[in-house]
Amino acid sequence: MNLDKTVVSASVVCKTYQIGNINVEALKDVNLEVEKGEFMIISGPSGSGKTTLLNIIGGIDKPTSGKIIVFGHNLSSEDEDFLSNFRCNNVGFVFQSYNLVSTLTVAENVAFPMEWARKPQDYIENRVEELLRIVNLERRAEHFPFQLSGGEQQRVAFARALANDPPLLLVDEPTGNLDAKTSLKIVQMLQKLKDDGKTIIVATHDKRIIELADQKMYLEDGRLVSLNE
Amino acid sequence: MSETSFPINDLLRRKFQTSLIIISLTLCVAATVYLLLFGDNIGLEISLMVEGKLTAGFSSIFSSFIIFIGLLIFIAGAVVISFMVFVMMSQRVRDIGLMKAVGCPNDLIFGYFMTELLIVTSISCFLGVIFGILADYASIGLFDFLGFQISQKPANFWLILLVFVLFFALSLIFGAKPILDATKVEPSKAISPIYHFGLSKESGFKVTSKSGFTVKIALRGLFRRKSATIKIILCLSTVFTLVTVAIAGGIIADQTTKNWVEKAIGRNIVLIAHQDMGSQYRLLLSKSYEISESSQFNYTDKKYLMPANLFDNLSSTSEIIGMEARLVLQEHVKELPGYLFDPETAGTTEVGDHREGESLIVGVEPEKVLSEWFVDGEFLTENRTCEAVIGDSLALTMFSMPLNQSIRLLDRNFDVTGVCLDPINNGNVTYVPLKTLQNATGILKPNIVMVRVDPANRTEILDQIRTNVRAVNSEFEIFELDETLDKNLSFLGDIWFIIMFLPLFSLIAASLCLIGYVMLAIAEQHQEFGVLRAVGIRPKTVVKIISEQSFIILLSSCAIGIPIGIIITLLILVPEPVITGYTILEIVGWLLTALVVMFGSSLYPAIKFARKPILEIMNKP
Repeated sequence: MNLDKTVVSASVVCKTYQIGNINVEALKDVNLEVEKGEFMIISGPSGSGKTTLLNIIGGIDKPTSGKIIVFGHNLSSEDEDFLSNFRCNNVGFVFQSYNLVSTLTVAENVAFPMEWARKPQDYIENRVEELLRIVNLERRAEHFPFQLSGGEQQRVAFARALANDPPLLLVDEPTGNLDAKTSLKIVQMLQKLKDDGKTIIVATHDKRIIELADQKMYLEDGRLVSLNE
Repeated sequence: MSETSFPINDLLRRKFQTSLIIISLTLCVAATVYLLLFGDNIGLEISLMVEGKLTAGFSSIFSSFIIFIGLLIFIAGAVVISFMVFVMMSQRVRDIGLMKAVGCPNDLIFGYFMTELLIVTSISCFLGVIFGILADYASIGLFDFLGFQISQKPANFWLILLVFVLFFALSLIFGAKPILDATKVEPSKAISPIYHFGLSKESGFKVTSKSGFTVKIALRGLFRRKSATIKIILCLSTVFTLVTVAIAGGIIADQTTKNWVEKAIGRNIVLIAHQDMGSQYRLLLSKSYEISESSQFNYTDKKYLMPANLFDNLSSTSEIIGMEARLVLQEHVKELPGYLFDPETAGTTEVGDHREGESLIVGVEPEKVLSEWFVDGEFLTENRTCEAVIGDSLALTMFSMPLNQSIRLLDRNFDVTGVCLDPINNGNVTYVPLKTLQNATGILKPNIVMVRVDPANRTEILDQIRTNVRAVNSEFEIFELDETLDKNLSFLGDIWFIIMFLPLFSLIAASLCLIGYVMLAIAEQHQEFGVLRAVGIRPKTVVKIISEQSFIILLSSCAIGIPIGIIITLLILVPEPVITGYTILEIVGWLLTALVVMFGSSLYPAIKFARKPILEIMNKP
């Protein structure tokens, strides 16, 4: 393992949820390595554990056993305050269900991760403008999420994920809820991010996104296998 | 799933929410039952009783407080119930939408939730009645333990039934409205995760600080839940009005009435009299807090009269700051009519009912009196000989318009110039000029002497006076009145202390309402709090946002409730209030404590929520 180049390293990661008296194994002995600038896709049927794996890589969830190292930090042993700072500065999340803060406007949704990272005010204003231009939503800056369509909300979610220019981007089913035309815009956006050298992990079934990938993984019943070989 | 099993299962699966609503309703019912029973036992009874504890003036202030607080507790109870039922139903709108979306008819949904409401209301009202009765027995027991004799009446069944029925009906009325509203919400709106009211397009984007960011989310959250926010502010404002009337009013009334008593009896006053006369005088002063057998006492017995040489001896004692002779008697008195000029008819109207009775008569030297009574009207003056000042109980029981009437005693008429608040003989007292009384009775010597001594060398001075008094007549003694005064003050203090704690139940119920509101906020915003956490915001920031909402609500409620409470207290309840810097500090201290306790307790669900794993926060409240 090249420590300088490896961004994500998962070894024998297991995740078990307890629902009542039943244990549900979401991930079973998952091993994974993602290098800097790599574009990885994880596909698999619904309920196979894709979102769980992304959550564990992003420090939102912790594995039941195994080790997950991201940017040299063993996330399974870090406390919540560390993980909060880590997520704020290193990871950009795009959730499946957009998940924008409904009480904040589009511009504020994009700005708040930067406010939290103590970026200067001028920088934040310029960056918000820039990001909204990239996602083609400059005119919607002062609208609230409920005033946007699903595709627009997804693009705002991308803009927010990129706000702090994170080296790692985790994207969960970005086109799952969108029509073909809107999905294409998202694919183009991912293509551009890949060209910019971002490390990107996407959980998706979308063939157009899968075609962009350097590494293709498949998850089924919690087990991860490579599709490259 | 039967029509009854759904509501029961639903309530049991939401243990925390169900308990919260039951506890709030129970407290409201208990507070009202307790107040009415307690008032029946001690407060309201006093104002209606002729021979009760406290004087008529004091008890009228006391009963005004009880009535006002009772009214506010009832209003607060109704508002709390309305709010809690609203919260209960607000959390169910989405479920109702889902039930409607899958084809459940409106009347069936309404039936489910009305059954839930009936179960919750019945349990709460029943428990409230039980706790209210127990609290009443406990507080009367506490009074007995403290040494004050208050009779425990059997619980008034009709009063309890009235409270039960009223609160039960109120709960159903207030509860049916949100259930009806919720069943009317279109299913598409009810189940939509992104549909929110109360937000409008912004005028411009402006980068905020971290604290500005949390305040922005907190404020917008409040506005988005406009209806619930207005309801909780209304609810807490009512409770803060109640708490202010009870705490600020209680403290002000406590200090004011204590001040009146202290001035009427006097501090550092020593009574010099025959042993029997002194004991009798002390007994008269203790009538306001002790039930004592009244025996015939012959005030005119010559052995009680002050020896002239004793009077001279005391006059020459330099350490005595002030000295006053009094002649105390018990006499038959008659109410004389007064005449009021009627400007419309240019004639006069007679007032008064020619009532008669017994009163304590005290002859005083107006220019030398050591007491400073709280007088409605004017006190006696030296050059006007046929004037009288009567006690508040005598004024209330024997006179219609005392300041326009006269009193007849010892075959002489005295114009009533003032009504004073005085605990002696429970306010059944008449003060007249000493010389006039001496002339009327032919008793030329006083039977008591009051002296005020220098508090610096009090013990030495008292020993010296005691020696002098005994040297003149061994049957004469000195009686320190400070102990009796302190007992009077302590009794008043205890009464007001109880008053101050009357709204405790309402305060707890209001705290639970605030917790209910916080839970509503969490339930509504849980997904976005999850997003904030996922993007890198720490758990304490989520607590900060929720606590800012609580704080804004509490502050707004205080800003409405406290001034109204103060206005009610000062303008309606306590005439001529005594307010010192310490009084203000004490009031501020108590109100701040109430505020901090409410604020602190409201943070519990926020802290519990923020500690949850992010995924749990994002998925369910």
